[in-house]
Amino acid sequence: MVVVNWLQVLFNSAVTGSLYLLAAVGLTLTYGLTRFPNFAHAEFMALGAYAGYTIAEQLKLGFPYSFIAAFISSAALGAASYLLVFRPLTHRGATIIHLMVASIGLDFFVRHLIKQVWGGEQLSFRMVWPYFDVGPVRITGLWVALILSAIVMVGVMHIVLTRTRLGKAIRASANNPDLAMASGVDVEKIALVVWIVGAALAGVGGLFRAADTRLVPLIGWEILLPAFAVVILGGIGSFYGALIAAYVIGLAENFGVVFLVMFKLSTDYKFAIAFLILILTLILKPSGFGRLFGEGGKVV
Amino acid sequence: MSEPLIYVLDMAVFVGIFAILAVSLNLEYGFTGLANFGKVAFFMVGAYTSSILANMGFPYLACITVATFAAGFVGFVASLPALKLQADYLAIVTLAFGEILRFIFKNEEWIAGGVQGITVPSAITITGVPIQTMMLIQLTIVYAALAICYFIAQRVVNSPYGRTIRAIREDELAAQVLGKDVFKYKAQMFTLGSAMAGVSGSLFSQYVRFIDPYTFEPILTFTVWMMVILGGPANNLGVILGAVFVQALERGARIAKDYLLLPVDPHNLRVMIIGILIILILMYRPQGLFRESKVKTPALEVASKWKKRS
Repeated sequence: MVVVNWLQVLFNSAVTGSLYLLAAVGLTLTYGLTRFPNFAHAEFMALGAYAGYTIAEQLKLGFPYSFIAAFISSAALGAASYLLVFRPLTHRGATIIHLMVASIGLDFFVRHLIKQVWGGEQLSFRMVWPYFDVGPVRITGLWVALILSAIVMVGVMHIVLTRTRLGKAIRASANNPDLAMASGVDVEKIALVVWIVGAALAGVGGLFRAADTRLVPLIGWEILLPAFAVVILGGIGSFYGALIAAYVIGLAENFGVVFLVMFKLSTDYKFAIAFLILILTLILKPSGFGRLFGEGGKVV
Repeated sequence: MSEPLIYVLDMAVFVGIFAILAVSLNLEYGFTGLANFGKVAFFMVGAYTSSILANMGFPYLACITVATFAAGFVGFVASLPALKLQADYLAIVTLAFGEILRFIFKNEEWIAGGVQGITVPSAITITGVPIQTMMLIQLTIVYAALAICYFIAQRVVNSPYGRTIRAIREDELAAQVLGKDVFKYKAQMFTLGSAMAGVSGSLFSQYVRFIDPYTFEPILTFTVWMMVILGGPANNLGVILGAVFVQALERGARIAKDYLLLPVDPHNLRVMIIGILIILILMYRPQGLFRESKVKTPALEVASKWKKRS
């Protein structure tokens, strides 16, 4: 019988949830605003992770600098994706399927560009993080930094969305773009801001994942499925829905892995847990948690 | 001496295998408007089913038949939760489904060797025949299957049924208002498309003689998407030409790499070209090289003759 440190599993869930939250916030917001699932979001995470790796391991600067590098490089990729690919496509009247296929094309392009530049081999951060024990729970500095980043992000996003003109404009554009435009909101500018911020957050998420485990070109693709599960469970375009869903899926995955180990199944199947939640949401309640926050489910 | 011939024959076989996939995706996306991002999953089911049966000693005709039905059945089941929802959900679910299925084949060694893969006996083994002849036989089998699939697809889309699925693609609500059971039509097309993917997978596995989970990465799905988008959605002949183009392009990239000494990994270059081309086509020629084919029915022919006479 395996002895399970349940408190540790609980803490790990918070870590995983924070990671998924960072990864999924941009995905759900761009999905809500531009109205298609952006599969290239995976590479926003990957590029941030690789940029951070270059700064931290090849230039030997500290983790804070690689954090900034991840943020900026992914933000730039997000802006470029929107301005060079998705906005022109929308102007040309592309259907949702066209946009999705284009995002896959972009994903493949960026991933193999990354592979070409950094090589396809597994890389790992050699940085050593301090760790300490709180009761039976082991905590590392990296995990603390990850959870703190998620908390700060949620705080800032909450204030921006509820207290500023920008937040109002974002909510208006997501709810009803035509009406927002008629009220003088530059919907495309708002969308650009959201793409940049969403991509930057994904880059940070990718960096944390890479620093915590290892760095491979598929790193973003691996987080994409749980991130989609978060988006669907949280309700497309809903920031607060994603906030809850990220931690729900974090819990489900970490407790699920314990059971997988108990039943001697491969832990690779933890991807199937997110998939299962995704399918169940689609069957039982396609709007996810979105409707909890205002009518229409579109309130960001 | 005869190496170029073998190369051309090999390419022709691959064109045939992928053309079946392109025709099947065309039924789903081109005519019905279903975004199947997990084509590879049904191709994989066909390939593994066929390989496992062939290794158990079943004759090839049994293998390919069971593979077709297995892929069709899996397609039917997989489509149920998502078909009632919008195109984007279907895309996410099918893409994820393909990846999960690949993980299962990778981790469960007892099914088909896991990461080690599985070797597959060829459909026909005749000893003492030159390789060119063997490849010609392969070519015949593959193109016979392609011809059958093409014939079925043409019959389906040039019928009242075909007009209904086009109507569903154009305006689901309008089709519903006219009393069409949209869900039923979508599920049927998805099942048919998946079954054809199973045929293709079975042919593929017996031709390459070895499959492992790494054969079935999502890029395969999007190679087929590119064939359909490039060739022209809702034009069965167009997507087959799309398959020819994409295969020529892929092999061309490999050859160009060898001659130009580009400092780029050929696989990376190939995928990057596919990615960029998909975006460029969608931007500058979303209708593809060939326009949607007009509906051809006997009644229409009679009507046009009658119109000319009067």
